[in-house]
Amino acid sequence: MREAVIEARKLTKIYKRDEFEVRALDNCDIEIHRGEFVALMGPSGSGKSTLMHLIAAMDRATSGRIAVLGEDLAELDDAELARWRNRHIGFIFQQFNLIPVLTALENVELPLKLTSMNGKERQRQAETALKLVGLDDRLTHFPRQLSGGQEQRVAIARAIATDPDILIADEPTGNLDAQSAKDVMTMLQKLNRDFGKTIIMVTHDRHAAEYATMIRHLEKGELKPEIEYPQA
Amino acid sequence: MASIAASFCLLGVLLAIYVALFLTGDDSPAGARRLVTRNRISLTQIMPISYEAKIRQVPGVETVMAYQWFGGVYKEPKNFFARFACEPESLFKIYPEYRIPEEEKRAFQADRAGTVLGRDLANKFNIKTGDKITLKGDIFPIDLEFNVRGLFDADKNEEVMWFNIDYLWKSLPADRRDFAGTYLILAQSAEDGPAIAQQIDSLFRNAQVQTRTESESAFAASFVNFLGNVKLYLFMISAAITFTILLVCGNTVAMSVRERVREVGIMKTLGFTNGEVLGMILGEATVISLLGGFFGCVVAWLLCRGVAANAGGFANLEGMTLSPWMWVAVIAAAVVMGTAAAIVPALGASRTEIVEAMRYSG
Repeated sequence: MREAVIEARKLTKIYKRDEFEVRALDNCDIEIHRGEFVALMGPSGSGKSTLMHLIAAMDRATSGRIAVLGEDLAELDDAELARWRNRHIGFIFQQFNLIPVLTALENVELPLKLTSMNGKERQRQAETALKLVGLDDRLTHFPRQLSGGQEQRVAIARAIATDPDILIADEPTGNLDAQSAKDVMTMLQKLNRDFGKTIIMVTHDRHAAEYATMIRHLEKGELKPEIEYPQA
Repeated sequence: MASIAASFCLLGVLLAIYVALFLTGDDSPAGARRLVTRNRISLTQIMPISYEAKIRQVPGVETVMAYQWFGGVYKEPKNFFARFACEPESLFKIYPEYRIPEEEKRAFQADRAGTVLGRDLANKFNIKTGDKITLKGDIFPIDLEFNVRGLFDADKNEEVMWFNIDYLWKSLPADRRDFAGTYLILAQSAEDGPAIAQQIDSLFRNAQVQTRTESESAFAASFVNFLGNVKLYLFMISAAITFTILLVCGNTVAMSVRERVREVGIMKTLGFTNGEVLGMILGEATVISLLGGFFGCVVAWLLCRGVAANAGGFANLEGMTLSPWMWVAVIAAAVVMGTAAAIVPALGASRTEIVEAMRYSG
């Protein structure tokens, strides 16, 4: 039986908006195993992004328990959580979220600055990551000099630069044309299949979801029963 | 950064003005020994020429010379520079720092209508030794024609014209002669200055025309007081500028932080801690302020040079400059204010929740 890297029990997140309380996630139980590629789907406001934020330690649950890679996230303080994210999680966003004043290489190097690597090692590692996504000829380009698809590939390179256990992808194809979206999904699939990365992807895109090994639907903050797909 | 640079430029200029007006004297050995005696009531009131002999008798006085501001117009009113009637035999004793060829000095002393000019002044108006120049009187109802007998060099304030006071007196009606607006005194030592000043003023305490004697630098600074309480004005303007700088710095940093809330979210997502983000923003604000302060100083230095070159000898302003300690003071103030102004927005940004920051669209 495969190791569970994410275990959430009765996970609840309530946001306060003025005098109102919004129950974004309601008693959610989920277990994700190493090497799985899970697509979280559901309508807007269903709680998929909230679940992703809690798994990635970007936010704290109101109640319930979540353990990622065996670490109870509630027990870590903010600084420990930050370092934990750096070591274990790679992020890919819909809007790419590259730093505009840094080159592709510098963007990829950024999370490596928090490791014990020296400058040369960081550069070598960042170059390797960019080579893996096919952008070794764009090292000194700034984000504005790249196409959307290339920007997302730089973001993927940044996400894998620290060799994290889990990749979190938030609508990774949302801002891309069909061909770039296909390229990005193929790349994520390769990272899952060939490098054993556990991937959790939030998406509205059915075509993108087909690349996942499992699709989980959320509705009104509740997780629906799982559907397992053979990979495309 | 431009707004920060402009603010610190203003602060630098004000500092330079303050130092030039109130903290700078003639630091030459003779400058420290020079005293000026004038009418106690006002600089515009004259004193009898008989005072000269009495002042010469005061212990510690090495030389004394009557001198008089002439005013007048050289060709056009815009051609302003200092024009003084003096006693040629005493001029170079009181101003030993004037460097002039011996034959030019003698020619000046021998010619009642002779004049000597600072080289900068002569160059400015293209006047050469041997030329004839005319000053049209305004304070005095006479026009005087002069023979330029020589040009002198000095370490500072070369924009001065000196001519023979006897020429002025002889050109005036008999009942308006034999007076002096001021007496310039060279003390035997700088330490004697205060005592000599006190003795001279005591000498004429019961006379019809009372005197006021002070050091040459204090005399120069007193011109500034004609403009009002300049010290207070400068202090108030500096305080207003300092307050404005704080607002400008704070606003600049706050704007820069606001524009980058999402970036802060990305950094934190990648693993940067609140403390690291705080340090980054503060560091950035410090660098921006440092550069702003530096460029402000560069512009202030250029402005000071401009003012000094065109001061025409007014109240020590020809020595106005941004000295090294002022550079250090202004840049240090820039760093302190920039960092202080950044603390609140930086703290706010560093404490922003990642999810909130990532939602921010700028």
